[in-house]
Amino acid sequence: MSELSIVITGRAGQGLQVISRTLGRMLVRAGYYVFVTQDVMSRIRGGHNFARVRVSSGPVAADGDKAQVLVALDPALVARHLPDLAEDAVVVTEAPAELPAGMNAVVIPLADLAREHGEDPVMANAAAVGATLALLGLELDGTEEMFENQFAHKGNEVVKRNVAAVRAGFRAVEDDHKRCCSHRLGTPAHGLGHDPKLPGSFGHVPRHVLISGSEAIALGAIAAGVRVVTGYPMSPATPIVAYCFGHAQEAGLIVEQPEDEVSAANLAIGAAFAGARAMVCTAGGGFCLMNEALSLDGMTEVPLVLCVGMRPGPATGMATRTAQADVLFSIYAGHGEFPRAVLTPADAGQAFLAAQEAFRIAWKYQTPVFILFDQFMADSLWTVEEDDLRTENRQGRQERQASEPMEAYSYRRYKPTESGVSPMLVPGTPEQLVYADSDEHTEEGHITESAATRDLMVNKRNSKLHGIRQELGEVKVEAEVEAETLVFCFGSTRGVVAEAVARLQKKGHKVAMVHLRYVWPFPAEAVAGLVTKGKKVVTVEQNHTGQLAQLLLQEWGLRVDGIVRRYDGRPFTVGEVESELEKMMGVGNG
Amino acid sequence: MERDVAEDKAWSTSAETTWCPGCGNFGILAALRQALIAARLDPWQVVIVGGIGQAGKVAQYAGANFLHGLHGRAIPHALGVKFANPELKVIAVGGDGDMYGEGGNHLLHAFRRNPDIVCLAHNNGVYGLTKGQAAPTSSLRFTTKHREAGTHMPPFNPLAAGLAMGGSFIARGFAGDQKHLSRLIGEALEHRGFGFIDILQPCVTYNHVNTAEWYRKRVYDLELESHNPLDADVARARILEWPAPGDDVEIPIGVFYRSRRPAYETCGRPGQAITGLEFDTGVVKKAMEEFR
Amino acid sequence: MAEQLTPRSFESADPIAWCPGCGNFGIREAVKLALSELGLKPEQTCFVSGIGQAAKAPHYIRCNLFNGLHGRTLPVATGIKLTNPELVVFAEGGDGDGYAEGGNHFLHALRRNLDMTYLVHDNQIYGLTKGQTSPTSEAGLRTRTTPCGAIEPAFRPLALAVMMDTGFVGRGFCGRPRHLADIIKQAVQHRGFSLVEILQNCVSFNHVNTAKWYSHRIYDLAEEKHDPADRDKAYQKALEWGDRIPLGVIYKSGRESYGVLARDMTEVAGTVPDGAASLRGGDCPPLATSERTPALVDRLLANFR
Repeated sequence: MSELSIVITGRAGQGLQVISRTLGRMLVRAGYYVFVTQDVMSRIRGGHNFARVRVSSGPVAADGDKAQVLVALDPALVARHLPDLAEDAVVVTEAPAELPAGMNAVVIPLADLAREHGEDPVMANAAAVGATLALLGLELDGTEEMFENQFAHKGNEVVKRNVAAVRAGFRAVEDDHKRCCSHRLGTPAHGLGHDPKLPGSFGHVPRHVLISGSEAIALGAIAAGVRVVTGYPMSPATPIVAYCFGHAQEAGLIVEQPEDEVSAANLAIGAAFAGARAMVCTAGGGFCLMNEALSLDGMTEVPLVLCVGMRPGPATGMATRTAQADVLFSIYAGHGEFPRAVLTPADAGQAFLAAQEAFRIAWKYQTPVFILFDQFMADSLWTVEEDDLRTENRQGRQERQASEPMEAYSYRRYKPTESGVSPMLVPGTPEQLVYADSDEHTEEGHITESAATRDLMVNKRNSKLHGIRQELGEVKVEAEVEAETLVFCFGSTRGVVAEAVARLQKKGHKVAMVHLRYVWPFPAEAVAGLVTKGKKVVTVEQNHTGQLAQLLLQEWGLRVDGIVRRYDGRPFTVGEVESELEKMMGVGNG
Repeated sequence: MERDVAEDKAWSTSAETTWCPGCGNFGILAALRQALIAARLDPWQVVIVGGIGQAGKVAQYAGANFLHGLHGRAIPHALGVKFANPELKVIAVGGDGDMYGEGGNHLLHAFRRNPDIVCLAHNNGVYGLTKGQAAPTSSLRFTTKHREAGTHMPPFNPLAAGLAMGGSFIARGFAGDQKHLSRLIGEALEHRGFGFIDILQPCVTYNHVNTAEWYRKRVYDLELESHNPLDADVARARILEWPAPGDDVEIPIGVFYRSRRPAYETCGRPGQAITGLEFDTGVVKKAMEEFR
Repeated sequence: MAEQLTPRSFESADPIAWCPGCGNFGIREAVKLALSELGLKPEQTCFVSGIGQAAKAPHYIRCNLFNGLHGRTLPVATGIKLTNPELVVFAEGGDGDGYAEGGNHFLHALRRNLDMTYLVHDNQIYGLTKGQTSPTSEAGLRTRTTPCGAIEPAFRPLALAVMMDTGFVGRGFCGRPRHLADIIKQAVQHRGFSLVEILQNCVSFNHVNTAKWYSHRIYDLAEEKHDPADRDKAYQKALEWGDRIPLGVIYKSGRESYGVLARDMTEVAGTVPDGAASLRGGDCPPLATSERTPALVDRLLANFR
């Protein structure tokens, strides 16, 4: 598998996100799998931000070890990235730089090119894209079309200037420069659409998209029929609401950013009560404010999807960085006892599907469902095959679970059933009335203090968990290799762990990964089936207290043999997971 | 207490500011420092309580004691500090999203209760730190990157809410007129009660409508119009001048309204720091009588 | 077959848990009267309430209802109205619910001006939790929490509403259900956010502002030929309290409702949050009945290829 990594560095405000996405898309179109991660500070200008673009002829879902190319929009930042670079790396920069032997500087006057062709110094980023593609031996086919697509909303002028800057950067790379760079990409022999082993009929070229985790959640929700989206600005959830705002008219959405999070959560509940598929988006601290509303949702049995983004806490913590420390909180939040599901998708593809699943479960069981993600999953750009983005429930039609005709004004919203799910009507149904109440209530929905009714309702609500469990499907060991050690993980660490485990397997270690794409209802039985006698279990998670390990203990009595942790706000690297796991398995223990 | 208050080195800090070049916050921070120095205060006598957002970071940069808490909760935090030690000068600072959105309820009740603290609301009509969403003071139809059709709600008028709630010191300043703002802050510091100042500022990165120039062309000083801040009816008329629709508007700045009302914590509360009080065990003994 | 609607059509079977003599009974009478005279069927209405004695009111009439959380009435009501503009939406609750816990939502709902009617039962005390001071308690009121008398001056909801240029601001009294019913009807017919402050006594916990105390002081603004479009006058009337307390329609701003504004700006049918041209029905169908086309997802994915 041929691959290389590019690091792009600059100050906030220099358009790093634009470059990494543009470059990434062009590489996907050229036939590569691309994975992009962003490292961003909590500020709008200045500071130090960077992106990593990993390009490969096979699927990738983790950062590469060392980068072969460094594009520095601000020459002063070159020195900071030297430890990230391979020995024969190439540095593309404005000004000549002091580099260790073996590395080469390719000096391109990016700012000048930007001013001359793009008429704006910010377009140094576009010039950098062009230069990088030239260095790597690629062409600019389809550039114009892609920019039209990406910047259409900014107007023709901006598109033209961007394209001009890209072309200028491309042309500025001369043969001398190319000789400095031993790294080439070219058209992949095996890559997207070129692998004869790919399923599908002859000539079928699967289409791929490069999409962030948050966009995938938003798009997935739209595909699942969401109509009302609410949220209050908070990283890393803000882009989900922003995407919905941007496509509100086209997709027929009502998107509201009200005065505070409490309002956002309650507004979504009101909307769903009235029959619209609704979703509220927030992150750690904002979700704290929604606890009460979550409890209300559990009591009133209103279908609700909550997108909760994890970042380092407690309190404000590190706004633009990643963590996986709110798992237990999400499972136990909201006072009182009521069922919920907590989905933990690994990447954009899983996130899109999780949105389908979330709405399906929420509306079938009239319960809150979480799409629990982290900043790393949300902000990275993933290559996803479109055929994998299966949609369900495209129509937002009112769910009608009772088809038997009813006598006028006889509807009982909380009628007990075997599954615990009562037939659901929405207000406005002719000749029926719908009641929802946060107090304990009768079958009709009126307030009650009766002990017997209380028991009935508690049992009814909580019995829904059984059905939810059935919906969620199996959990399995991936790439099983007669493993003696099972590595458990959830959410966005899947890519890193999978790659680390693959390396260990190549070395002869008997180790395999189990990834949980949902953590609640906890798949205790499935786990029990996998962890047979004598196997060691290790968790890999981005928190301090080992929350997945705690879940394994709580739900199934399993004490793990080790925990690989990282909680400094940065994602795991493949190398560190590999070495930590190796240590845990004992050196030479194959 | 004698000291050389021209030493504004005493008010400096090693924290690096993370604001964009040209941000209105620089002017506001400078005005705040000038006011604190002119009031002959020592940094240790002052507690700045900040919300979350670019404006709230003033707490970190002002050089005084600070509590940098949660989005929207600067006022409750400030009240707590003031109750515990009324001798401290307490200043709550935050942006418009922070003070008028998330913290709207706290602001409303603060006007009513009249605690002796200063409240500086940096009003740039947009959410800066989270990258450009519309805020409660964004004008109607204000467009953002994702909301091209514009907002559907008219802007919030905090001074109007303040007057309705019986606020005792209602003022507006402008980051572009540091001298004037510094004087206003000085008056708010002196005022016994809730000293509220709505401070207009540009956001060079995300609000391309209400720029510094846009404000400069429209603001006018109430004092130069012989405004009488003791007259509630006149204050009301000036307060309702802006926000208003249209480009052809005039924006008054200065003290709109001032009244003398008892400050909250002076009503039936010990005037000294709770932290300095001794605990009298006799109190418990006496209370236990009730249960014998 | 059109059923002749009377106040009885709006009676529910739920046993009432209010104290005998509670002001809520009078308010309930007014609500039933108003609904029947407006010609609304029970299922065309949706009442959203918070928590408190007042918030129980929707249980005691026939309507769709969402009895949610203390202070969170307005957000839920907003969600319902945006989703199904055909429903006539009421928010209902007490003064603690609305002005303390719900203060922020109240403030911004006044600004948003979405078409709904907010009935605030204001008895200037916390009833359900047994007698604490509320935001509208007058300074000096002695209660469990203020044995030396309330320190803070009262919250001034009507003054706030006038300063926020609220669409419709009215005040009624539980002891005058006929008059209150008329205010409520006007509030419902107004396109936009309508605030109806309803003064009421609390027989159990407020021994100052009793029904008798009110009856000596209230007067009808209509008798003075008050012009609700006059904002200055309205503000003065909003602040009037003590020996004379005005009832009636205090202010009408003439501002466009949120829905009309949104529709004018987006001009896309089917995404209009609130476009009902008349009290019932309208040109915008409920979201619950809308369809999603598969082609949409394909179009959106194109931006990522």
